[in-house]
Amino acid sequence: MAVNGTNGLMDPAPERAKRGAFFFPMMFVGIIVAAWCLARFMWAGTSVPKGADFGVGAGLTIIMILSLGPMLGARGKLSRGQDAGALGNLTVLLLAGVLMIAGIISTWGAVPIGSAYGGIYDVTSGWIGLYFVGGVLALLASLMKGKRVPARFSGERWVAHNVLSFWGELVLLWTMFFIVFYLA
Amino acid sequence: MATTDVQGRAVAGTGGGAPFTWSMVLPMVRAGLFGFTGYFGAAWITAMLAHTVIVNPLPATIGYLVGLLGWVMGSGIWDGWIRRAFGGEESPSLTGVERYFRFSSDPKATAVRYIFFNITAFLFAGLAAMAIRIELLTPDSTGWWLSEVHYNQTFGIHGLMMLLAVAASAIVGGMGYYLLPMMLGARTVIFPRLLGLSWWLLPPAAVAVFMSPLIGGFQTGWWGYPPLAQNSGAGIVFYTLGAATLLTSSVLGGINIIGTIVYMRAKGMSLGRIPMFVWGLFAAGTILIVEAPATFTGTLMDLSDMILGSHFYTGPTGHPLAYDDQFWWLFHPEVYVFVLPAFALWLEILPTAAQRPVFARNWGIAGILGITMIGAMVGVHHYFTAVSAERMPIFMTITETISIPSGFVFLSALGTLWGARLKLSSPALLCLMAMMNFLIGGLTGIFNADVPADLQLHNTYWVIGHFHYTILGSVIFSWLAGLYWWFPKATGRMVNEFWAKFHAWWFFIFFNMTFLPMFVLGIEGMNRRIAVYLPYLHPLNEFVSISSFFLGAGFLIPLANLLISWRSGKKAPQNPWGSKSLEWHSPSPTPYIVFPEGSDVTVVGPNDNYAAGAPEPFVWAPTTAGK
Repeated sequence: MAVNGTNGLMDPAPERAKRGAFFFPMMFVGIIVAAWCLARFMWAGTSVPKGADFGVGAGLTIIMILSLGPMLGARGKLSRGQDAGALGNLTVLLLAGVLMIAGIISTWGAVPIGSAYGGIYDVTSGWIGLYFVGGVLALLASLMKGKRVPARFSGERWVAHNVLSFWGELVLLWTMFFIVFYLA
Repeated sequence: MATTDVQGRAVAGTGGGAPFTWSMVLPMVRAGLFGFTGYFGAAWITAMLAHTVIVNPLPATIGYLVGLLGWVMGSGIWDGWIRRAFGGEESPSLTGVERYFRFSSDPKATAVRYIFFNITAFLFAGLAAMAIRIELLTPDSTGWWLSEVHYNQTFGIHGLMMLLAVAASAIVGGMGYYLLPMMLGARTVIFPRLLGLSWWLLPPAAVAVFMSPLIGGFQTGWWGYPPLAQNSGAGIVFYTLGAATLLTSSVLGGINIIGTIVYMRAKGMSLGRIPMFVWGLFAAGTILIVEAPATFTGTLMDLSDMILGSHFYTGPTGHPLAYDDQFWWLFHPEVYVFVLPAFALWLEILPTAAQRPVFARNWGIAGILGITMIGAMVGVHHYFTAVSAERMPIFMTITETISIPSGFVFLSALGTLWGARLKLSSPALLCLMAMMNFLIGGLTGIFNADVPADLQLHNTYWVIGHFHYTILGSVIFSWLAGLYWWFPKATGRMVNEFWAKFHAWWFFIFFNMTFLPMFVLGIEGMNRRIAVYLPYLHPLNEFVSISSFFLGAGFLIPLANLLISWRSGKKAPQNPWGSKSLEWHSPSPTPYIVFPEGSDVTVVGPNDNYAAGAPEPFVWAPTTAGK
């Protein structure tokens, strides 16, 4: 039996709850990367091999730090109810995400995976790359929803808020990754 | 006007069954088709590109991932979630029987699927146990049954499936996801679609593990220890991928548990008024979110060594012992994911059966949370034989400390029963049996935690006996208790009490006849994980095997009882046990919308105050404007 009017009733958690509870999956994905960052010291000591592509790593880190601007801007606009304005910021973040995925892929193989550093680098950056794929898809979903059904986008603003929170976590995780794998 | 009556509020257009049509099974069939096509297609293409065969680790891995994606996409997730998320057409909610057969945001439908999955996995993993015991009927590997290689594969599959496909989600999944929102006064969980997804990850993972012998199997047992993992057959990739998938599923559930408890409790439900069963779920969810990452990463790093050429655990830069640390970081606490909801379930059922409040309720809660916290630090006791002398006393002490919070829970249960006139229904009987079994399992566990004793007992059947007393003896007994207890809630019918009690005694007797002698076998020197043993152990092994056949065959009784009772059991009243818990405030069987729109509950007292004339703990009032 199909009923059209019960979606809201079966998904009645308020926005505050949806945004607050998103902390738990973020914590889970954060612990995974933190564990791998710690593992880097166990498997590869503290020396960074010469083959590691510092330039690309630094460039990607700068992109991520700069992306905080559109991210915070989007949060502010969403909080003020300026949903259409926030979509522009989401587009910028989407492009940044695509750049990050390309950048991460380009660093693979710089240090052979069979070496201690190369193994943990590739696994960790690959996993973070998966987060970026997820982030890009989530941004794309929010953008398309915002363009196609603005009313639904506004009614479920918590989704866009959570996507932005996830992006903020990505900034944090990538920066930690850069420090641990290139600077430490 | 405030009222405690919500039964009269029907929601138009909901509930009711639709005829069983092809459209109901279509998502399952489609998911299977997409899954198998995806697996074989991707594995073949990868094998061709890599100039190898499809049973090698790399094609098997790519095939599994594509097959998993195909299965999930075929489940109805496109209509039910993805299309809508990208701004596409919104699908109507399916409120009839169809929702049990496709991706659904209804936690009750998800939970019912969990129950069917757990029962199926239990039967198949149980058959593997029977195969093991047939092999052990004779001291040598005679060749008429399993070869030694097949024996190793069989006990690995049995262990992994019983733990991650049965124990991990039997109580948490089937009962927890069904009852969590109802017990908290919420209409659903915090992320219902994520919870729906969690179930759809289970079948492909289980199928892969069961089918692993087809691509070479694995001989590592359920641990997947390197470097044996890298040298024991390509089927190990199905082990690592299956374990990672099952863990992901558990974590998605854990996120929902914690988020729902923190953010969706009814008004007035303070921490002290949260039902005991929900505290057990909270403990399980916390353990999963905080501790699963270390083990999750371990399985992926193990896989990376096999297919990408890294050397985390093997080769010149490998640290095999690091895998043990990562593996047991979660997989010791994982037993608390199994057992803490069982403890909490005792403290939910027994007070109602005794019509008394939970004795020392806060100490019981402290016990559950204490085990959660201390349990995070004890994994090393699983490999005292492999660690430095400095680590031994530390982890021995911490492990033995767990008996203190465990004692709180037991004292809380015993204090509730002390002097009470217990109505010994089948669920209450099973809870008492589970307590008895866990007592034996817990006391024998102290010897495993004690370094001098453990170094003697480590690789013997003592450990098998101990472990089965804690998991089969405690969790599965409690699972059955919970199934019987909430069966009227889900189906509107009562379980046949005679057959439920008959099987409870059957289970208890043959369980003890099977596993109690294992302690003797262990002390006598019988190794675990090995298909052959010395002839002087033969008579006792024969006794154990024959007992286990009776034990295994006995599970047909509850299976038949549940099915027949579901179809033609006695009609259940709305609250057959006289419970004061909130889930019994809705009609039985549970309608699609548990608590209809327009009224909200306020918790005004504890849900276990069974004193004569005690006020109702819940008050229903019309939803206030703007809420």
